[in-house]
Amino acid sequence: MTRIAKHRELLVLAILGVLIVVIGAISPNFLRPTTLINIVNSSLFLLLIAIGEMFVILTRGIDVSTGAMAGLAAVILGVSLNAGVPLPIAIVLTLLTGLAAGTVNAVGVTALRVPPIIMTLGSLGVYRGLMLLITGGSWIETIPHSIKSVAAFRVAGVPALIWISLAIAVAVAFALKNLKQARYLYAVGDNEEGAFLLGIPVKATIFSAYCLSGLFAGAAAVVFVAQIGFVPMQTGSGQELKAIAAVVLGGVSLSGGVGNAMSAVVGALFLTAVDSMMIFLKVPGFWNNAVGGAILLAVVFIDYRIRCAVRDQQQRARAREMDQSTLEKINPAASSASVMGKAT
Amino acid sequence: MPEVNKATDPSANAGGAPPLVSLKGVWKVFESVPVLRGISFDLKAGEIHALLGGNGSGKSTTVKILCGAHKPTAGTIELNGQPQSFDRPSDAHAKGIYMVPQEPHIFANQTVRENLLIGLAGDARAYAERCERLARELGLTCDFSICAGELSIANQQLIEIIRGLLRNARVLIFDEPTSALTIREVKSLFGQMKKLSADGIGIFFISHRLNEVLEISDRVSVLRDGVFVLSAATATLTTNDLVAAMRPAGSAPTKASEQARSSAPRSSTPVLEVKNLSGKMFHDVSFNLFPGEVVGLAGLVGAGRTELAEAILGIDQHVSGDVAIDGRRALARSPRICQRLGLAYVPEDRHAHGIFLELPGAQTISASILARLGRPFLSAKREGAVVAQFVQRLGIKLSSPAQLARTLSGGNQQKAVLAKALAALPRIIILDEPTRGIDAQARQDVYRLIRDLTAQGVGVLVISSELAEIVDLSDRILVMYRGRVAEVPGSQTRIDQVSAAVFGMAGEAAA
Amino acid sequence: MIPWKWLRSWEAVLAAALVVELLVLGAINPAFLSVENLLYSTSDFAHVILGALGLTLVVITAGIDISGVSIMGLASIVLGLSWVAGADIWVAVLIALAVGSMAGAFNGLLVANTDVNPLVLTLGSMFMFAGIATGLPGVLDLLGFKAYGAGGFAAYQYEGITGLPKEFTALAHGGIGWVPNPLIAVLLFALALSVILHRTRFGRYLYLIGVNPNVARYSGVPVKSVIVAVYMLSAFGAAMAGVILTSYFTSARSDLGSEALLNIITAVVLGGTDILGGSGTVLGTLLAGLVLGFLRQGLLALGVSNDVIPIIVGGLLIGTVAVKLGLIAFNQRRGNRRAYQLEISETREGGGSAT
Repeated sequence: MTRIAKHRELLVLAILGVLIVVIGAISPNFLRPTTLINIVNSSLFLLLIAIGEMFVILTRGIDVSTGAMAGLAAVILGVSLNAGVPLPIAIVLTLLTGLAAGTVNAVGVTALRVPPIIMTLGSLGVYRGLMLLITGGSWIETIPHSIKSVAAFRVAGVPALIWISLAIAVAVAFALKNLKQARYLYAVGDNEEGAFLLGIPVKATIFSAYCLSGLFAGAAAVVFVAQIGFVPMQTGSGQELKAIAAVVLGGVSLSGGVGNAMSAVVGALFLTAVDSMMIFLKVPGFWNNAVGGAILLAVVFIDYRIRCAVRDQQQRARAREMDQSTLEKINPAASSASVMGKAT
Repeated sequence: MPEVNKATDPSANAGGAPPLVSLKGVWKVFESVPVLRGISFDLKAGEIHALLGGNGSGKSTTVKILCGAHKPTAGTIELNGQPQSFDRPSDAHAKGIYMVPQEPHIFANQTVRENLLIGLAGDARAYAERCERLARELGLTCDFSICAGELSIANQQLIEIIRGLLRNARVLIFDEPTSALTIREVKSLFGQMKKLSADGIGIFFISHRLNEVLEISDRVSVLRDGVFVLSAATATLTTNDLVAAMRPAGSAPTKASEQARSSAPRSSTPVLEVKNLSGKMFHDVSFNLFPGEVVGLAGLVGAGRTELAEAILGIDQHVSGDVAIDGRRALARSPRICQRLGLAYVPEDRHAHGIFLELPGAQTISASILARLGRPFLSAKREGAVVAQFVQRLGIKLSSPAQLARTLSGGNQQKAVLAKALAALPRIIILDEPTRGIDAQARQDVYRLIRDLTAQGVGVLVISSELAEIVDLSDRILVMYRGRVAEVPGSQTRIDQVSAAVFGMAGEAAA
Repeated sequence: MIPWKWLRSWEAVLAAALVVELLVLGAINPAFLSVENLLYSTSDFAHVILGALGLTLVVITAGIDISGVSIMGLASIVLGLSWVAGADIWVAVLIALAVGSMAGAFNGLLVANTDVNPLVLTLGSMFMFAGIATGLPGVLDLLGFKAYGAGGFAAYQYEGITGLPKEFTALAHGGIGWVPNPLIAVLLFALALSVILHRTRFGRYLYLIGVNPNVARYSGVPVKSVIVAVYMLSAFGAAMAGVILTSYFTSARSDLGSEALLNIITAVVLGGTDILGGSGTVLGTLLAGLVLGFLRQGLLALGVSNDVIPIIVGGLLIGTVAVKLGLIAFNQRRGNRRAYQLEISETREGGGSAT
């Protein structure tokens, strides 16, 4: 039981596997490699945003501006490419935009002490507004071919973007397990006061979490523009909520200290796959939201029940432990003096 | 004026090397309330120095300043004679001061190994070997890869101690380390402390358990209302000295039993009947409570008494068995239903379950009887009247009606929680550790209140870990041992006899 | 948490801000300042205030509900579909309000019976309600309900339902004297909630739960029922907003109100409610909602582009909270220093030694 509770991402992956098999049985086209690769390809945007979101949620914070940050970065990318900026520099600019946006959140949460939901809700509005300002309200329709070719580039039949994103996810997973500063994220989210008392740089850790969230939103923007080829006005709209749903689905706890990169990956894949499955089942597209929402609710509810069961188990075990220790033979005279307490 | 019994200025040194740590003239003010008023004292190397004081005396604040979690409003800290300034706890750690908190700061979702090694400067692997050795010496034998949240409190404390030692702490501060430990664990802890002090480490030990203080410490200092009123070598002190030092000036000690025992006629129908109640921590518990009597429930820490009370109250739903109030069976219970039936409960942990810290104390008092203060609209006048009535009856000190409960002393907070329970005019009241962490005067008020209640025919169940209190207060005594409850025969109610029963010796306490 | 004294004066600050704002906007564009115009323009943002008023009560319990915007759309489409299925328009309104309240009960039950963060729960339900709202026409077709028009229910999926009875659509455009009906609805709802919050024991329960739900439970407060009820109340407000929007736009659509989330939460926070629970007032939210609404209208009338407005609203949200927190911290530090100096001078006069 405990193991399931601890490795939710495996459970979700398993459910995903089962679903794929079932859908494949109903509609065999679903199991073709092209389809599956397409699913992974379309999940990359959400995946990168989800990884960024994960950093923040690990510290027990929340970031509802990731979608807007991605949108803003995408706009910057489109504008700079159209202005003739060479591709590599444009990409760097995009990443920097995301990083800058994330840094604003970081400053608000650490220096100004604004609660994360408020800060990121406010910056959400600001970044959306900036997006509209820069583009004058219209879509960026034409994008130079250079970036679109990035999406088309394949290695071993699989789009390069998938390999790159995979590499990023693996690097993040590795860092989270082994890098000392990354472990601080968990400590801060698990017990912020305890972390502070132990000398862990709490403020710096939280600061970097929000900066990373912005950075990954910028990376997601690069992927988006490369794959889609233009920048619609609603870019990123609602993605932050989907990203939160994805990481929670994958096992990241909103109360901090629990979760890893796999959670983000699995969650993003799951939600994207469900969307595709519905297409194959010929379910009209607007049901995606309903199903996604229902799945999220089902998963967190089941998770709650599992945690209750685990807690029950632990309590019973501790009760038995107490039983054992009182079995020790103690010298009655010395011990009764100890328990007497104050003689008032 | 504070009474000073023995040696006064604790910072007076008999010459020689400067003390390991000293505080000089330290003030600390919180939200316009001065908590420390210019205290000074020192700690020598290898000394175990106990710090005593009632709730609100400033003990916790003192050690928090020492370990860098707070900055003094005024005054200095010195280490080996050198003045220091700590902006954050890691500064104190760097200088060799570490506090083992009352509730260990554990990262519940991380492994034990992580908990031990996190936050250390440099590469964690360099510490691994020392860590294993320390764990062996101190008796932390669990698997390092399990989640720290699954450890017992005692083991979590060991994690904190090892953390301090890994940081080469020369000063270790223990804040109420024994409040959640079993007897065996306390013995083990004291053994470790003696070993550490033999190595030259200076130890601060905060406690409210006088016997433990007398057993383990070399020196004792007593804090009262933010100033030191006593500091001397333990060998020269007795329990009475310590009790007198902590008692507010001018109040005389009265034993609970000196007050007249209840003279209310004992009715033959029990007002509370518990039959074969079984839950996670207790089995097949049955007892009766009659109107106007005080029944004491004794037992070791962790014996399951609070769990029993919460099961009776309906907080814990997973129990089997019967509870009857006034002869009526109460199968589906909740605090709300029990209240309506006439059963009130004063929780053990008032901060977590009893009082609304961020609201005016008055709103805690009225919280359980809002239905009686006007339908459909609350009458502020009626609420004010009820609150005033109980403030006066219990002697709660409120500086203004809007005073937040957070700023009240422990004793006043407890009285507010009591008032809340009493406002519902219960026929039965369960008091869970009612005098824990409150000053002596408030304690006396509580005892007087219990007498008054029994005189009015209320049935009182008192759960307490202080045997003297139970023996003094109770008309009958129940002992909980390993999940089973049995009544102590009327002929065996001396403290040592009850104590033996609490440990399951002689007298066969098991049902 | 914020002491009561501060909250009382925060409403005054908001009221002053409202007056100042109107004067400034009126000075720049005198046409803006006509009473008739001001009152009439509230219809544009009445739905935001309705959503924010109910949400205030939920936030006071330390919860949050972001599904309100979806409930607006759900209520709207239910209204339209009920009418298309043959119900009298006013019965359809009642059905819409009932369905909205049921959605709130769903939220409340989840929040009350699990320890899952209400943000996550209402995030899931937000998606779910939005999806159901969009898919409902198709489902009704499948279930065999009869509808006016050849295309069955599905025909209304993308265009929304139009042709609603005139007496209904006149609702949002009519009024008593110069006061438009939507504003009346807002004021009545605010009055009702204010009375509930500040004068009934249900309202007191909300604060108690927000400060410490465990203590509330031990004190005999019916925590679960109160939580279900407060989410229902919030959803009812959202459903009302959906009905009013339907009348205002003369069309029942499932996506009405979806843009309002940022504005709703900003109104709640700007109104002085602590996002962590335990404090807040209805009046504050009402005033903040008006301030925000007129700000938006005024800026639009001034020719400020629609795109800049979220920037201002976002900045306002952050700025308000940052300033408030800063002031509290400043006051505390000053109070501490003063208390210390008081003690020092007392002890010097008293002549007693402190050590």
